[in-house]
Amino acid sequence: MRRAVVRFGLLVVAIGMLVFLILFQQALQDGLITAFVGAARNQSAPVLVYSVDGQRTLQGSVIPPPLEGAVRRVPGVGSAAVVVQGTFTVRVNDDADDSDAAILGTDDAELFSPVDISGGRRPSAAGEAVGSDVDFGVGDTVEVVAAEGSAPVTVTVVGTARDVQLNVIPTLFTDLATFTVATMAANPDAEGVLPNALAVRPAPGVSDAAVVDQINQAVPDAEALTREDAADKTPGVDQVRQSFQVIFLLYGLVVPLVTGLFFLIVTLQKAGPLTLLRAIGARPGWLARSLLLQVAVVICLGLAVGIALYFPLSQARVGGLALRFDVGVVVVWSALLLGLGLLSAVVSLRRVLRIDPIEATTGAGVA
Amino acid sequence: MRLALRELRRRPSRFAVATVILTLIALLLMFLGGLIDGLLGSSTGAYRAQRAELIAYSPSARESLVRSRITPEVRAEVESTPGVAAVGGLGSVQLGARPGDEPTTRDLLPTALFGYELAPTGLPTTPPAAGTVVADSALRADGVREGDTLLLGPQRSPVEVVGFVDDTRYSGQSSLWGSLDTWRAVVSENRPDQAVGDTVQALVVQTDGTGTKAVADAIDAATGQRTVTLTIAAAIEALPGVAQQRATFNQIIGVTVLIALVVVALFFALITVERTALYGILKAVGASGATLFAGVVTQAVVVSLIAAGVGVAGALALDALIPPGGIPFDPTPARLASSVGLMLVAAIAGCAFSLRRVLRIDPASAIGTAS
Repeated sequence: MRRAVVRFGLLVVAIGMLVFLILFQQALQDGLITAFVGAARNQSAPVLVYSVDGQRTLQGSVIPPPLEGAVRRVPGVGSAAVVVQGTFTVRVNDDADDSDAAILGTDDAELFSPVDISGGRRPSAAGEAVGSDVDFGVGDTVEVVAAEGSAPVTVTVVGTARDVQLNVIPTLFTDLATFTVATMAANPDAEGVLPNALAVRPAPGVSDAAVVDQINQAVPDAEALTREDAADKTPGVDQVRQSFQVIFLLYGLVVPLVTGLFFLIVTLQKAGPLTLLRAIGARPGWLARSLLLQVAVVICLGLAVGIALYFPLSQARVGGLALRFDVGVVVVWSALLLGLGLLSAVVSLRRVLRIDPIEATTGAGVA
Repeated sequence: MRLALRELRRRPSRFAVATVILTLIALLLMFLGGLIDGLLGSSTGAYRAQRAELIAYSPSARESLVRSRITPEVRAEVESTPGVAAVGGLGSVQLGARPGDEPTTRDLLPTALFGYELAPTGLPTTPPAAGTVVADSALRADGVREGDTLLLGPQRSPVEVVGFVDDTRYSGQSSLWGSLDTWRAVVSENRPDQAVGDTVQALVVQTDGTGTKAVADAIDAATGQRTVTLTIAAAIEALPGVAQQRATFNQIIGVTVLIALVVVALFFALITVERTALYGILKAVGASGATLFAGVVTQAVVVSLIAAGVGVAGALALDALIPPGGIPFDPTPARLASSVGLMLVAAIAGCAFSLRRVLRIDPASAIGTAS
C-alpha cells in the first residue's frame, strides 16, 4: 500500500466521500424529523387530541367548543388542556431582520410544556416563554410583528429547551393569553382563537393507549394519539424516513461493491507475485490475512476521511436545521460498512486461496 | 475504438462489477433528482401556474400567504401604479376534504383552497360561481370526479367540483380553485383565527411589458412600502424550505457525481495498469496514444450509458411502484436526461486520470515486460 499510494488513495477518497454522504444524510434525516415534530415528541402531555380534519397536524387542526366538550367528557380523560399554535413573523432582540417563529400556547402549562428545560426557568407570568435552545437564549425578547394599526406584542424568553422545534422553525411555548394577544395583533380580522388540539392526561389507572381508544371511539371528529404517535404519524415524517431509507440502501450497497471491485482487480493484477509467494512457502492463510488487513485498513482510512469531513459540518446549521454529531450513529455505520467491506473481499479471498504454487513454474497465475 | 468495443462484447464480465456500481450510482442520482423534483413540484405548482409576473405580500408576512393581508386601500394604490396592467386578489386556506356522500369519514383528502381573480394557467378567466371549484387533477387519483361535492374543514363547507386543472399542487396538497367569495366563506366558517374580512392575502400583478423588477419597485414605492413585491420565480424560492431543499439536494447530487467520477477513474486506472503490456504492443504496431485513450473513453462511455439506461429503467419502475401519497418521487424526462449527462461527464472526466499513464507507455519496455 505504501508503494501504490495513488491507487489506494483514490479508493480511500471514494469510500471517504461515501461515508461522508451517508453520515451527512443520516444527520439530515434525524435533524429534519426532530425539528419537524420535536415540539410534539418532547412535550409533557401523554396524549394529544386533534380534530380529524387536522390530519394529525397542529396547524391544520381546529377544535370547536362542542368537540372540546365531547372529548373532556370521555370516561378515562383525567385532565385536558387547550393547545393553540400559530406561525408568526417576529423580531428577536434588536435584529434588523424579521424571522419566523412558531408559538404554542396553553391554558395549563403543567400539562403541556417541554418535558425538560435546558436553561433558565419555566414561565410564571403572561408574556414569558420557553424557547427552542438552538434558536433562543434566556433573556431574549421576541416581538411579534403586528399588522398595520395594531400594537406589537413582546414575549420574553425565560427558559430554553432542547429539541422542541415545530415545522423546522424557532419555537416558543407560552400561555394561552399571550398567544391570543399575539394572534389578534398579527391578524386584527381574526374572529377568535379556537384550540388547535387538546392535551390530555388519562385518569388514574387508565393507560395512555386506553384513553386514546376511548376518545377515538366516543368522538368521531376527534383523533387522539399518544405522544409518540403524534410525532411519528405527522404527515411527511414517514415519507422522509422512506426516502432516506432508499438513499441509505443504495449508498450502503455502493461502498462494498467499490471495495470488492478494487480488491478483485488488485488480486488479478497480483496473480503472478502471489503465485510466486505461494511457491516459496507463503501459506494461503497468511495471504488471506494480508488481503483482509488491506481491506480493513482502506475502509478504516475511508471512514476516518468521511468522519473528518462530516465532523465540522455536523456542528453547523443547514437551512435552519441544527445537525448533530451522533457518536452512536457514527459507530453503527462504521461497523456496518467495515463488515460489508470485509464481506465484499470474499471473491478476492477465494481467488487467493485457490492459488496453486505449481503454476509459478508454468507462468500461469491465479485461476 | 473497434478493439475497445470488441473487448466489451467478448469479455463483458470484466466490466460487470463496474457497471453494477455505476448503475447503483445512476439510480441514486435519478432517485435524488426525482425526489427533489417531486418535493418541489408538489409544493410550488400553484405559483408556477400563475400567469402574472409579480406577487405582492404585506411587509410583515415574510412572503407567507397565510400571514399576508392586503387591504382594499393598498390594492387601489397597486392598481394605479404605472406599469401595472392587471391586478388580482389571491387567498388560500389548507383544509381536509371529505367526499360529499361520506360526511363522517375519518379518511380525509388534504387540500388547499385558493380564491383567485386573475386566472392561472388552465383555469377559467372568470372564477367559478360561489360554492364551486376547479380541482387539481391529482385528486382524480383519490376518486374525485367532476360534479362531486367535497366537504371542506370541520364545518363541512360544501364545494362542487366543476372541472380539473393540472400541476397546481401547493405545500404538498391538492389545490381547489374558486372565487374569492368562496374562499372567504370557507375560511370564516372553518378557520376563524385566519378570517380575512375584506382583505386578500396577496395580489398577483400582470405588467404592461415594462421590466418586472422596475414595476415591482414602483409598486412598493407607490404603497409606501406597505407591500413586498416579488417576481413569481422569487416568490417560489421564498416558499418555506424550497431554496434549502434545492441547495441541499444539489450538493448531495454533486458529491454523488464526484463519487461516480472516482469510481470510473479507479476502475479504468486499474484496467490501464493491467493492459500496459498490451498497449505497448499496440503502440509498437503503430497505434497512437490518442487512439488507445479513445478506446478507454469509449469503454467508459458505453459502461456508463448501460448503467444510466438501467438506472432510467429502475427509476421509472420505482415511480410505477410507489403508491400515490407515498414518497414524492417525480422522475421528469429533463431530470433523467441530466442524470445521464452527468454520468457521461463523470465517465469521461474519470478516464482522464488514465490519460497520462496511457501516453507514457513505452512500447519497447512494455513488450519487454510482456515477454
